[in-house]
Amino acid sequence: MNIFIGLINGMISGATPILLAALGGTFTYYAGIFNIAMEGMMLGGAFFAVLGSYYFHSWPMGILFAILGALFMALIFIVFSVILKTDEFITGIALNLFAVGATTYLLRQIFKVKGAFSDPGIIPIPKVDIPLIKDIPVVGSILSGQNLLVYVTFVVILITVYVVFKTRFGLRLRAAGYNAASLDTSGVRTSSVRIWSLVICGVLCGLAGAYLSLGYVNLFSENMSAGRGWISLAAVILVNGNPWGITLISLLFGFTDGLGLLLQQYLPNQFTSMVPYIATLISLYFYSIQKRKKTA
Amino acid sequence: MDTLIEMKNIVKVFPPNVVALDDVSTDFRKGEIHAIVGENGAGKSTLMKVLYGLEGRNNGEIMLRGQPTHFNDPGEAIANRIGMVHQEILLIPEYTIWQNIILGVEPTNIFGKIDEAKARRTVKEKIEEFQFNLNPDDKVGDISVAARQKVEILKLLYRNVEILILDEPTSVLTPQEIPQLFSELRRLRDSGKTILFISHHLDEVLTLSDRITVMRKGKKIATVEASETNKEDLARMMVGRDVIFLSKRDGKVPGDVVFSVDDLSYIDGNGHKHLEEVNLNVKAGEIVGIAGVEGNGQLALVNCIMGMNHPSHGSITVNGKDLTRAEILERRRYISFVSQDRGKMGAAVKASIADNVMMTHHRLNKKFTRWNGKLLDYRYARQFTDQIEEQFNVSMGSMDAPFKSLSGGNQQKVILGRELLLETPFLLLDQPTRGLDVGSIEYVHDIILNMRSQDRAILMISADLEELFRLSDRILVLHRGKIVADLPTEDTSVEQVGYLMLEGKDKEDAKEIH
Amino acid sequence: MRKKFISGILGIVVALVLGAIIMLFQGYNPIETYGALFSYSLGGWYPFCTTLRNSVPLILTGFSASIAFASGPVNLGQPGQLLIGALFATVGGMYIHLPAVLEIPILIALALLGGALWSGAAALMHKWFSMDEFITTLMLNMIADLLTYWAISYPFFEKGANSPLTPQIDKAGWLPEFGEFNTNVLVMLLTFVVVWFIYSRLTAGYEWRLTGQNSIFARLGGCNIDKNYMAVMLITGALAGLAGGLVVMAGPHRFVKGLGANYAWDGVMVAMVANNGLFGTILYGLFFSTLQSGALGMELITAVPSEFIQVLQSVIVLVIVAGRGLLDIWMDKSMIKRKARERAA
Repeated sequence: MNIFIGLINGMISGATPILLAALGGTFTYYAGIFNIAMEGMMLGGAFFAVLGSYYFHSWPMGILFAILGALFMALIFIVFSVILKTDEFITGIALNLFAVGATTYLLRQIFKVKGAFSDPGIIPIPKVDIPLIKDIPVVGSILSGQNLLVYVTFVVILITVYVVFKTRFGLRLRAAGYNAASLDTSGVRTSSVRIWSLVICGVLCGLAGAYLSLGYVNLFSENMSAGRGWISLAAVILVNGNPWGITLISLLFGFTDGLGLLLQQYLPNQFTSMVPYIATLISLYFYSIQKRKKTA
Repeated sequence: MDTLIEMKNIVKVFPPNVVALDDVSTDFRKGEIHAIVGENGAGKSTLMKVLYGLEGRNNGEIMLRGQPTHFNDPGEAIANRIGMVHQEILLIPEYTIWQNIILGVEPTNIFGKIDEAKARRTVKEKIEEFQFNLNPDDKVGDISVAARQKVEILKLLYRNVEILILDEPTSVLTPQEIPQLFSELRRLRDSGKTILFISHHLDEVLTLSDRITVMRKGKKIATVEASETNKEDLARMMVGRDVIFLSKRDGKVPGDVVFSVDDLSYIDGNGHKHLEEVNLNVKAGEIVGIAGVEGNGQLALVNCIMGMNHPSHGSITVNGKDLTRAEILERRRYISFVSQDRGKMGAAVKASIADNVMMTHHRLNKKFTRWNGKLLDYRYARQFTDQIEEQFNVSMGSMDAPFKSLSGGNQQKVILGRELLLETPFLLLDQPTRGLDVGSIEYVHDIILNMRSQDRAILMISADLEELFRLSDRILVLHRGKIVADLPTEDTSVEQVGYLMLEGKDKEDAKEIH
Repeated sequence: MRKKFISGILGIVVALVLGAIIMLFQGYNPIETYGALFSYSLGGWYPFCTTLRNSVPLILTGFSASIAFASGPVNLGQPGQLLIGALFATVGGMYIHLPAVLEIPILIALALLGGALWSGAAALMHKWFSMDEFITTLMLNMIADLLTYWAISYPFFEKGANSPLTPQIDKAGWLPEFGEFNTNVLVMLLTFVVVWFIYSRLTAGYEWRLTGQNSIFARLGGCNIDKNYMAVMLITGALAGLAGGLVVMAGPHRFVKGLGANYAWDGVMVAMVANNGLFGTILYGLFFSTLQSGALGMELITAVPSEFIQVLQSVIVLVIVAGRGLLDIWMDKSMIKRKARERAA
């Protein structure tokens, strides 16, 4: 039973950063942007989260800084690919490389270390115990005691569904992706809509990064996003942006993360670390086969 | 009737020195239907775009309701109650009619939530006010092209637009759908709206408009009352010389069957039947035209013939050789293909002209390569490009310039040159003169008739009924994936073909002719 | 052609200026810093040879990315292909003992094979299951990283070492050096000639180029898209694998953890900046190598951390590509006007 609870909790914590970033990707996906910079935004968020938390001795500042850091990355993307009309693919790749370089450089410059920065002065984001619920057997250990950001993520899912499908902004957002010229002639600037979608993506990727460095673990290490941004991207593509689908897929990937930890008793840890990436390949397999049947 | 819009001495120059509008002055009256006609490149679209705010002007004045006006973008124009429906229908197929119409002016509640009930109600009210016969909950992707055009117009009416500009509105409609559009436009005019429309279809212009303005090479030639002019006068003003409208085909007896399609069916992965038991053949020295509303199987037919898709059933044969499941390269030994979308399928626009010309020849013509086909002989390729330039009268600078630097007419000539010099027995032409100016159209038609004289078998798909009737020996009609008529051109009429395109059967009886 | 040159130089200048501004912000002296940087990479025969030697993996992975992107397949798997190529060459060098004249070509062949295998896996997934190579190559990067990590920690581990690495390869596999000049440069130049020849002179190269420009057009024109796809994926994978093999054979002569980690992504950047041109890849590869080789010197003399170079590189890429994009738009506009002029005349 404990293993079961452990697996579920592991699934939730593994899923959270992927889910947050993927929800950000949802907005840009619907807007018709080919956004592969989620990896870079997440990494930037993770670094600035540690920065904010350490220097202000408070995790709320950490979260704020994470969002600002990721927004800075998003701003670069906006300037180059929306305003200067640079190819989105190249901008995304360059941005990811910029994020790795900048965070590594700042790690050296500000914290004077290489590799990783870990310090008791980094205040982590707390877990939340919900009274009454936490005493329910089994379910209580899952529903209560999760990291604050997990509960925030749940709210974000609901807000995303509402905004994208029920509001005026959502209608215009999806229109930008379906037929940008049509939206332009309706009197709405597609570029504005796209800029907003990137801003939202930045905020959410910032939260994802904050979870990585202040929730999941309590440090920043070089390139710690470790391809999760790519997995988020795969998730968005696999479900065509649908927020509920993304939730499911992220839980699946989070589960493989936890599964990897479990398997460490039996296999060298390099192989167990491969599990999420292999899971992505398998998901892509099922997705591609099904898509091929449809278009034959 | 009083003057609503005055355009005075409009000059529009595209840098460095292309004079698109050369001191154009004209006026439009309230409550009239006013047509602007001219060839491609005459300036009619530019004139309207300047009025609408899509383009700026270099000189001149625009007076709206007596006040000098200048629009910086379409949004301002709409705020002043002027709206434009473009030739390319710009709607969102995934959205419903009411969603498309309210896009940009959505009624909202708190938090930006769309008030769906109010939106549907107001849209329904507008539909009923103008008697458009649409269901607001239909998805735009599911309705007909004519209906989509109505939605575009409705979108402007919803924003209380008073002056409607329509760009080539009949180019997407069948002959049967046109009268309905016209009666709607007349109804709008009678209710006080002003309608400006751009067209090059002189018969329609004469039927519908009150007044007609003719443009040629950036200048306004004249504005005339429709009742006081005729087709020949208009054409002469448009082109500057007399234009012949008669067919140029000579009576030629076709030879043996070269190309044949037997019992061809195509069902896609979703179970959607695109082609159903299609039977047709083309003889040597014959031009067979296929008429049909876009989306009735033409794409599937082209794809099956070219090998992009494999049919579910049936066969495709050229000179006795079964090509139904052959590799594309194998088919190209027998089939030349001019696609409907130059940029998408007919060329690589950023590559050089020479690179584009080599395609397919590099595999089929041994003179283009050495080392058993592995090494390219660029010198020969360049000679070949020169040959095309001369033979097809292409005006190009350097053959290393990107393909897209050529004008539309020259691009089509290069493509025709490349395809025709493959010297295949069978030619497949899809919208061969789309988007070309009158001079190029005539030239291309001459080339096609020349191929006919050389005993090639030609299958031509075209949305231009005039073109079909001018060139084809026989006309087939494609309706919902089936061939519903196979008629010698002399034995049919534009009206009959138009009806068949829309309804799938003849007016008098349901007898299908094969 | 001249426009590309100008926009390239301009981009580099702008980015260097931006870098100088950042340095000033941090309190460093840009002139001193750049001075140290360039003297460490270009000032003298030894620095220059080091720069040349380090440029080889950049240029080879740059070729890999350039050819792939220009021909259609989105091969982003250079990091993984490099690692697998390096692993194959290392293992070969550990167990095959032949005179250098045979050993070196065999190890090179193994490196090519390793890279091709890894890209081939992605290509097969695309061919059989229609799986998008964009994602598969990225996932395979992660998997290759972990796989090689395991390989050098367990089966091929140098007993008694403190960190994961393999024993050295047979001396016969070490690429000879003439003074400071490493012959990996010669291998790279030879590769360039071969690749250039294939891409611009052979029929296959023509088809790859046109497929990359418009695959539907190429397909309708009779090109065998599937065969070309597979060929491009295998060749570009082999190129990246070769880069890995040369890193081992010309450098530490063994597989060390973290080997060549950044080279591959930098190679992708080089390809993007060079707009997939082969000759441009060599030039920009040399330039980026200059920056990287000088970074350590820069740090020693002026205490600017060497990681700064990574930031500078990505800024250069963004600025050059953005500039080129603007140039393209401007050129398109003038072409439209010229066409309209022709029509009016």
